Amino acid sequence: MVLEATMICIDNSEWMRNGDYSPSRFQAQADAVNLLCGAKTQSNPENTVGILTMAGKQVRVLTTPTSDLGKILSCMHGLEVGGEMNLSAGIQVAQLALKHRQNKNQQQRIIVFAGSPVQYDKKMLETIGKKLKKNNVSLDIVDFGDDEEGKLEKLDALFAAVNSNESSHIIHIPPGGAAISTALMSTPVFTGDGEGGSGFAAAAAAGGGDFDFGVDPNLDPELALALRVSMEEERARQEAAAKRAADEAARQEKGEPSNSQDATMVGKAAEATNNASEPMDEVNALLQQAIALSMENSGSDPSVHDSEMAEATNEDQDLAMALQISIQEAAKASSSQSDMSKVLEDPSFMPSVLASLPGVDPDDPSVKELLASLQGQSEQSKQKNEDNPPSDGK
Amino acid sequence: MACLHDHSCEDNDCSSNWSLYKHIDLPKVSALNEAVPGSAKSVFKPWEHRLNSSEEHLESNEGDPELLVYIPFTSDVKIKSIAIIGGTDGTSPSKMRAFINRDGIDFSDAQNMQAVQEWDLVENLNGLLEFQTRYAKFQSVASITLHFPDNFGGDTSQIHYIGFKGEATQLKRDVVATIVYELMPNPSDHKTKAESGGGFSQVE
Repeated sequence: MVLEATMICIDNSEWMRNGDYSPSRFQAQADAVNLLCGAKTQSNPENTVGILTMAGKQVRVLTTPTSDLGKILSCMHGLEVGGEMNLSAGIQVAQLALKHRQNKNQQQRIIVFAGSPVQYDKKMLETIGKKLKKNNVSLDIVDFGDDEEGKLEKLDALFAAVNSNESSHIIHIPPGGAAISTALMSTPVFTGDGEGGSGFAAAAAAGGGDFDFGVDPNLDPELALALRVSMEEERARQEAAAKRAADEAARQEKGEPSNSQDATMVGKAAEATNNASEPMDEVNALLQQAIALSMENSGSDPSVHDSEMAEATNEDQDLAMALQISIQEAAKASSSQSDMSKVLEDPSFMPSVLASLPGVDPDDPSVKELLASLQGQSEQSKQKNEDNPPSDGK
Repeated sequence: MACLHDHSCEDNDCSSNWSLYKHIDLPKVSALNEAVPGSAKSVFKPWEHRLNSSEEHLESNEGDPELLVYIPFTSDVKIKSIAIIGGTDGTSPSKMRAFINRDGIDFSDAQNMQAVQEWDLVENLNGLLEFQTRYAKFQSVASITLHFPDNFGGDTSQIHYIGFKGEATQLKRDVVATIVYELMPNPSDHKTKAESGGGFSQVE
């Protein structure tokens, strides 16, 4: 219940037209801002929030810090996207707006949404950060969009300069996957430094976490049911497959030079499992099994499209890397085709695994391309593959 | 403008003069550019403990010797003089500027505004030096903000003690400040007799 005056700096530059966050970066940002304003005003009735836009001809203050949520939400309408973001001017104007707040007892906070490249150099950003720290202003940076031209280092430098006593935060939200607002809800930006968090944010975060697939059964019961059924089905199949994999692995690992690789991969998967929160546990169990399966994979073309794999999913980077490493390494090793490789290359296996992972859209074109590439290599084995009936994973 | 004592200063004699520290509203003391948040409160202590450097002191951030300390009082006071004990090795502040009865001053305000009074300080490690004020201007001080723009060449500025000499007038400037009001009703604050167990009212 910290008494705070907040200025939110919105990025409305040309880069916000991009659709890598659905429906567009700008809409995702606007949703996040709306939720954030609600959370701030609810956590303490005397909190005030103001909004300004950073891009366009000049930095424009849409509303000075006010506790009237209706006014704040209404000024988010009719915003135009265009121009380039001016981070330095935006932060300085925000600081000025906070300086002239009506209630001097409020703590000062600036929240910056940075979704486009930063033109200023690191030095300048560090000076700005130091000035904020000197005047006791906290800064939260929400970094989304692509990382280009050293944007990440610049924002990290700014954050390091301004952070005093853990009151500032920097959040990176990679494209694809969770929406900006859902990703923010569990961070200290919403919940406030280490407190229990406002009822608003806590309830929303808990609500999102209870549902395994990120889908509210109240909103879409059929989808939730379908996902759950396919997950059960897949898990049953996975367990059977994993048992066979364990037997094969025990035999094959003796001669393989990949023992160290196995250790690192398993280690990484174990780490992923340890770090995961509860709804993710079953996903990571699947992940571990998939990695174990991919260890025995052989005969796949090592020239798999690396770029597609990288793009495929954001949460699936472990899986993608595991597949990549195992494919490259399998080209060196020369073990015979095992049942496991057939299972992996089964055209419906991959979609069903991916569908069961939250945040992955199997209809995503890049995912489809990746699947097509995997399937194309296994056409021979596909014909022989009779004992694994394709299951409907959707 | 400093004055040296012309008598051997025994602690109990002088300490009563420096008793304005009792009237400082300590929870509301704040400082800008301090390295450790909340360390500003530690420099206000009784005269006898002014040399007690084992406790915390106020230190500015690395590489930036500016300090701004906001000191509200619980009642209006008249300030006759101020004593400052700084740190060693050039970390003592070299200049002091005072602003009266203004809150929410930050560094850009402090640099642009005309101070009520400015002093050039010297390194004063035992606190016997006091800096006199233009008493007429310091007659009803509800809060004072001290700005230390520079030091004697150290990397940071350190302040171990700030003392005020003067009198308290028992007048309160801002009576409304301590009222707590409800913006949203809290049911636990409004228990009716029925909820809290009932009972007969008593007339004494």
